[in-house]
Amino acid sequence: MKTSILGIFEEEDSLISALKKIRDKNIEITEVFTPYPIHEVFKIMKRKSKLQTAAFFYALYGLVVSYGYVYYTSVISYPLTYGGKPYHAIPSFIIICFVTTICSAIFFSVVTFFIRARLYPGKKPNIVDLRITDNAFVILINTQPEMTLSDIKTINSLLMKNGAVEVIEK
Amino acid sequence: MDKKYSVSPNLKYAAVILVFIGIATVSLGFYFTPEKTWANLLLNNYYFISIAIGATFFYAIQYITQSGWSAQFQRIPLAFGSYLPIAGILILFLFFGMNSIYHWSLPNAAVHDPLIAHKSPYLNIPFFFIRIIIFFSLWILMIRLLLRTSIKEDQVSGMKFFNKSEFYSKIYIFILAITFSLFTFDVIMSIDVHWFSTIFAVKNFISSFYHAIAIIILIVLLLNRYGYFTTFTKSHLHKFSKYLLILSFIWAYLWFMEYIVIWIAGIQEETIYFVARTQGKWKLFFFLNIIINWAIPFLVLLPAKTKQSKPVILFICILLIIGQWVDLYLQIMPGILGKSSIGLIEIGTFVGYAGLFTLVVAKALSKMPLIPKNHPYLNESINDHL
Repeated sequence: MKTSILGIFEEEDSLISALKKIRDKNIEITEVFTPYPIHEVFKIMKRKSKLQTAAFFYALYGLVVSYGYVYYTSVISYPLTYGGKPYHAIPSFIIICFVTTICSAIFFSVVTFFIRARLYPGKKPNIVDLRITDNAFVILINTQPEMTLSDIKTINSLLMKNGAVEVIEK
Repeated sequence: MDKKYSVSPNLKYAAVILVFIGIATVSLGFYFTPEKTWANLLLNNYYFISIAIGATFFYAIQYITQSGWSAQFQRIPLAFGSYLPIAGILILFLFFGMNSIYHWSLPNAAVHDPLIAHKSPYLNIPFFFIRIIIFFSLWILMIRLLLRTSIKEDQVSGMKFFNKSEFYSKIYIFILAITFSLFTFDVIMSIDVHWFSTIFAVKNFISSFYHAIAIIILIVLLLNRYGYFTTFTKSHLHKFSKYLLILSFIWAYLWFMEYIVIWIAGIQEETIYFVARTQGKWKLFFFLNIIINWAIPFLVLLPAKTKQSKPVILFICILLIIGQWVDLYLQIMPGILGKSSIGLIEIGTFVGYAGLFTLVVAKALSKMPLIPKNHPYLNESINDHL
């Protein structure tokens, strides 16, 4: 039993025009693979990412924690005068806080991404077609049980007509 | 789309009135407070030169990076460049006010001051003006070449003139790197003649680039409101605001780099520069500078939604126009005047220069088609999407 249809495209423009036509026919697109992020694909698929917002709060967390840590070590726990500077020397804190803010934002964003995408070290990759790891744009449509053969055929021809170089049923 | 920009009479009258206000306040200022007036003239001269330089730098790097999205707006930064000949003439008038502005230019400044004596082969009045003339002639020459190539492209399509523009742009940014650095050293850093900072030129260059883009966006938004640039979309605005966001980081980064090194070393000759600027009323400007030029643009421009909102960007652009003034005020004035006081003279001079700048740029824009006709990336720019 074949469960999915893959449309393989070589051009960004033909991928987007095909996506729009498929969306207009109310056919559910399971996934789109592109070699680089395309804003329009997000729009057509109506997917929204909250990763940026999360990253902002991770950064804020990093800032607060690192500032607190530096403040604790150099003012409360072990006050030490160096170069005639006050204990609470803000300019010298900034560099540390700046770097840890970036580090925290990046690290936790990557962790969040891995959790959301259900990736973990040693996971067996589920690659629908080898070309998605290269330069191909791929539309993946999972066929529903209620779809008839003619439905699948129309999807097939829709993909073909809109510039797919190849359509594979799996 | 092929609408040609024409200067509306209202704008012309308004700008001319502003120029007259400027002339009036400057002449009154010479009568009452000549020293302050010279300082203000220097500030505003430098302000608009830096805007013109930053804008033409933007123009040049669009060619070098072969950016498609900005092709239809390229005439605006190019028009900014036509302010430079006038700025060059205006800055030569500083000759009469050298003694009020530059401590080193006093006839016997070098006698009791070994540092000034050491610097005098470079910092002396004739060589100072020779350098300024060399810088301006190089800039004006390069902008002429870029302008002529761009105008010629309107008649002939093809890649020939694009490649030519790209080539000139490469030479131009190379020239800018050297000449603009020396220009900031000469004109601004030499006010505090005992103090020097090697990052000063980079900081000021980025500052000029940053604020020039704010003014480019402001003009694009205003023209768009009056029916030009009909193909201007949110994605263009988004890309413009990205420039603002990224430059706000770099501005703050360079500002802080200068500050931290001086702060941590704590050498008296160097710290005196910041000590003077964090005392009395200057302290207000010191923090205002950071808030206007970094904190507000950075926090406001982070989300994608505000990057695409015209009112927000308009607000940020106007804020940054003030920001560049505050930045320069803090760099120039403490070395010349003892105390900070903002009066009519500051506002009047700025308004006068702004009127002149508007007049020159509007006239330059009206002389050529607002949208380049045969730019190879024009279609990409019009159909630009995120």
